[in-house]
Amino acid sequence: MNPILEAVIAVLMVSGGAFTLAGAIGLARLQDFYSRLHAPTKATTVGVGSITLSSMIYFMATTGALALNEGLIMVFLFLTAPISANMLAKAAMHLRVQQAENTKGQAWDQ
Amino acid sequence: MTLALVVLLPFLGAIVAPLFAQAGRTAIAIASSLPPIVALAALYPHWSTLAAGGVLVQTHEWLPAIGLSLSFRLDGLSLLFALLILVIGVLIILYARYYLKKHENVGKFYSLLLLFMGSMLGIVLSSNLLLMLIFWELTSVVSFLLISFWNYKQDARRGARMALAVTGGGGLALLAGVLLLGQIVGSYELDDVLAAADTIKASSLYPVALTLVLLGAFTKSAQFPFHFWLPHAMQAPTPVSAYLHSATMVKAGIFLMARLYPALAGTELWFYMVSFTGMATLLIGAYTALFKHDLKGLLAHSTVSHLGLITLLFGMGTKLAAIAAVFHVINHATFKASLFMAAGIIDHETGTRDMRRINGLWQFMPHTATLAMVAAASMAGVPLLNGFLSKEMFFAESLNLNLPGIWAYLPPVVATLAGVFAVAYSARFIHDVFFNGKPVDLPIYPPHEPPRYMKIPVEILVFACVMVGVFPTFAIGPLLYAAAEATLAGPVPEYHLTIVHGFNLPLLMSFLAFFLGLLMYTQRQRFFDFHARFREIDEKAVFEAAVSRVVEWARRFIEVLENGSLQRYVLLLLLATLAVTIVPITSLGFNVGSLGISPIDLPTTVGSLILIGCALGAAAMHRERLYALILLSVVGLMVALTFARFSAPDLAMTQLSVEVVTIVLLMLALYYLPSWTPREASLFRRWRDAIIALVAGSGMFLITLAMLTRPLDSISRYFLENSVEGGGGSNVVNVILVDFRGFDTLGEITVLAIAALGIYAMLRETKLTAPPTDGQGHPWSTDAHPTILKQISRPLLPLALMVSAFIFLRGHNMPGGGFIAGLITAVAIILQYIASGMTWSHQRMPFNLQTPVALGLFIATATGLASFAFGYPFLTSTFSHIHWPVVGDFELASAMAFDIGVYLTVVGATLMILASLGRLTNQSEVKPGAY
Amino acid sequence: MIAIALKITIVMVSLAVALNVYRLVKGPDAPDRILALDSLSINAIALILLLGISINSRLYIESALLIAVMGFIGTVALAKYLKRGSVIE
Repeated sequence: MNPILEAVIAVLMVSGGAFTLAGAIGLARLQDFYSRLHAPTKATTVGVGSITLSSMIYFMATTGALALNEGLIMVFLFLTAPISANMLAKAAMHLRVQQAENTKGQAWDQ
Repeated sequence: MTLALVVLLPFLGAIVAPLFAQAGRTAIAIASSLPPIVALAALYPHWSTLAAGGVLVQTHEWLPAIGLSLSFRLDGLSLLFALLILVIGVLIILYARYYLKKHENVGKFYSLLLLFMGSMLGIVLSSNLLLMLIFWELTSVVSFLLISFWNYKQDARRGARMALAVTGGGGLALLAGVLLLGQIVGSYELDDVLAAADTIKASSLYPVALTLVLLGAFTKSAQFPFHFWLPHAMQAPTPVSAYLHSATMVKAGIFLMARLYPALAGTELWFYMVSFTGMATLLIGAYTALFKHDLKGLLAHSTVSHLGLITLLFGMGTKLAAIAAVFHVINHATFKASLFMAAGIIDHETGTRDMRRINGLWQFMPHTATLAMVAAASMAGVPLLNGFLSKEMFFAESLNLNLPGIWAYLPPVVATLAGVFAVAYSARFIHDVFFNGKPVDLPIYPPHEPPRYMKIPVEILVFACVMVGVFPTFAIGPLLYAAAEATLAGPVPEYHLTIVHGFNLPLLMSFLAFFLGLLMYTQRQRFFDFHARFREIDEKAVFEAAVSRVVEWARRFIEVLENGSLQRYVLLLLLATLAVTIVPITSLGFNVGSLGISPIDLPTTVGSLILIGCALGAAAMHRERLYALILLSVVGLMVALTFARFSAPDLAMTQLSVEVVTIVLLMLALYYLPSWTPREASLFRRWRDAIIALVAGSGMFLITLAMLTRPLDSISRYFLENSVEGGGGSNVVNVILVDFRGFDTLGEITVLAIAALGIYAMLRETKLTAPPTDGQGHPWSTDAHPTILKQISRPLLPLALMVSAFIFLRGHNMPGGGFIAGLITAVAIILQYIASGMTWSHQRMPFNLQTPVALGLFIATATGLASFAFGYPFLTSTFSHIHWPVVGDFELASAMAFDIGVYLTVVGATLMILASLGRLTNQSEVKPGAY
Repeated sequence: MIAIALKITIVMVSLAVALNVYRLVKGPDAPDRILALDSLSINAIALILLLGISINSRLYIESALLIAVMGFIGTVALAKYLKRGSVIE
């Protein structure tokens, strides 16, 4: 395989893993639900998207055929992640989940 | 082929005949009489072969693996019975035309009658014991329907139930007996069984097999102590009684004894069991018959007594006795059928069957009276009638038994005594009904002769009685000889069918019986008074009490065992499993096989830890339902990942799709349940259950460990090798589902469809009140369909459908297939339900949800049936390749059409179940009939 | 190079999975758990893809695709359940 391609794949993969891990750390460590919501929905989506991309390039390079499935996964991922986040945020607001003191804004007062 | 056809004809008739019900009773009677007449014509050409001692056996394979074949046999014995069944059947059909009233359900009647005829023919013509058993059970079932034909009468229903319970129970015993015989002989074919007579009698299983077979015969033929069902079956319409209790149903047991006579008879055990049962039945039946005031009751008990006589003759074990038994079968059938018909005419014309009211009918219906009197005289054994001949033979044989000492007197004394009673009740039938003063308070007065044609069957039968009685050799000689030859399966000893054998002891016994019987009749009032001292036992009440007692026991037993607690069932199941497996598992121990333990890696370790932890958590947290549900979702996800990790992509995909449907389903149910439940089990119970679960789980672990660490040569090798070649697909899982085990899949989707329809039907009218708030007291949001979700879900639908189509199409070669594709489609539509509501979604669906289910089942079945058209067995598949640009090579297999059926059923059923649950509260929002 | 990257990534994603489960167990509120479940399934996509690359097989791509679809629908359904109670109406 072309070493540049190989490097691209490796970089995409590792950075994807890093973003995913960052998202998970955020989910685990941030103070309240409203802050935690940002970590996985943004970082993890990018991270897994990046891993998907690396898989796509890898298989296109090894088999020479179009790897449509990964494309589909990415479409789904990027289309749906904001919706899940939105739905969850609304649910939390509806349930009046407590927020930490240093989290700014009072969404449900608006 | 002809014999199978003869058996099949009445069954075909049973389907066709009811179509003529609208055209009136005459039309349907003619239509119903055609099958037996054609069957008779089909049997006729074989007579010459049989008369020369030949046997006709026609065999078609059916289920060779269990020894069941469609083999039919025609010899003298089966011909004799077939003739009785068919000829008397035709006469009954004619008779019933006039017996049944216009408003009655003649279609049902004739259909059942023909079904019964076919089943009886099946019994007598089968050459395979298992095949015969099938017909045997059919007669039990159809006779139940016939006896309860007037199902608005409680007595009829009870009598039918009793008959079914007794004969059905006997059928079970017979099944066991036949299986044992097959075990001993190694074949269920009659030829083999009869040829293996010595092996059977020498076998240590012989006493058990004989007892079981005889139980079947005795229950069917109403032998003591099982005789009680027969009189209660008299609640049937008279044509049914005439048919079932003269020539057919009760003779099935007799036939069985005759059929297996060469194989089973000739031992001491046979002698004692059969002859003493016969003797008891003979006496009890004859005695009881005298005291019955009901005309049909008298005939019923007389039938019991005559069946006992035949059984006794078979039990004696001599060849001449067996011949006499076969002869009496013919004679009894003719005179008893005509007597039942005459009784039916009397009932029909007077409106009652009570002999205390029916008197002096001679002056109202001399024609019927003459016929009935001749038949009754034959029943009593008056010379020059057929009953006399076989009774003489019976008396003669009863003298020839070599019983020790004083026992030698028992059979002749019993025979004579029964003869006395027979004469007495026959005299009563003649004198009490047709003479003896004037009728008392008849519902229909004055009675008169029945329609002309109603008497024809009686006339024919009475004519036969006289013919056989006067010219026995001419009238019945050859047929009897052929039947005797077949019964004995060997040389027939010399016997004479002459009216008088000279003045000898049997004749003396006849005369004695005759005069004592008449004397007894004249003194009947004393006997009635004597009999009245004993409390009458109502067998029906006893039987019903026994039945309800058994039901009560069963109910209590079930209450103890099955109290509705699922935990308890799991506990019992686990304990039972442990009890069986604990010893082998402990001796197995921690057993690692030759393959060793595979190395572990980080993701697998993390995954399995999560899997274990979340499973435990779900159990521990089950009282907080939403939390438990989320933990369950994690378990599901981890299981799917495990499937993927260990190379089962199909399973992973199925698990993922099923998972989300389950979660949605659970949420639909949780909506109506409290979100939190109190602690219900005691501490002791929780620890006890935890320990049992731990032990069971450890056992499972040890077994799995031992299994997976060894090379396993399972059936999967066959599937792997044959999947491409035989099923045209390289995805073995899918090929198994739609091809190798397509029949299973068809069954499964049928069950799925039934379940979905059942849920739909049960919830259709159910309305539940929605809880006003969630568990913490938050009121529900008013935003039912959030805009963002709605707007994004819509473009997702075609995308998901595309994925579904893709997974469906490549399913035969790569992971996927109809089931997974169906679930994906269903889930995509469920998303629309969630986002935009059911009303919105259903308005955009041009069909209701039952349609895909029905269509799917239809397509799957039709694909299976289509292979018949090409001469292959059900669900044989064929395939070819087509190349599809861009997408690639696709398999075009007939299994794909089957898979479409699976797909449609899964989509329809899944949606129907979820929609039914979702609709529970929002009745007003959904338009009726919207789905 | 890819092999090393693969190893590193798998370790990172596995850790991420463990952290997700930590949040799922800790809660404290239902939205937290659902959020953790959602990111767990997204991480599962990554795991499956990495598995596919490591054994050089595309057999599992559809499973990953299905997790993307099913995970989303599960999350949406759970969120709607929290807000509205009745998931399908």
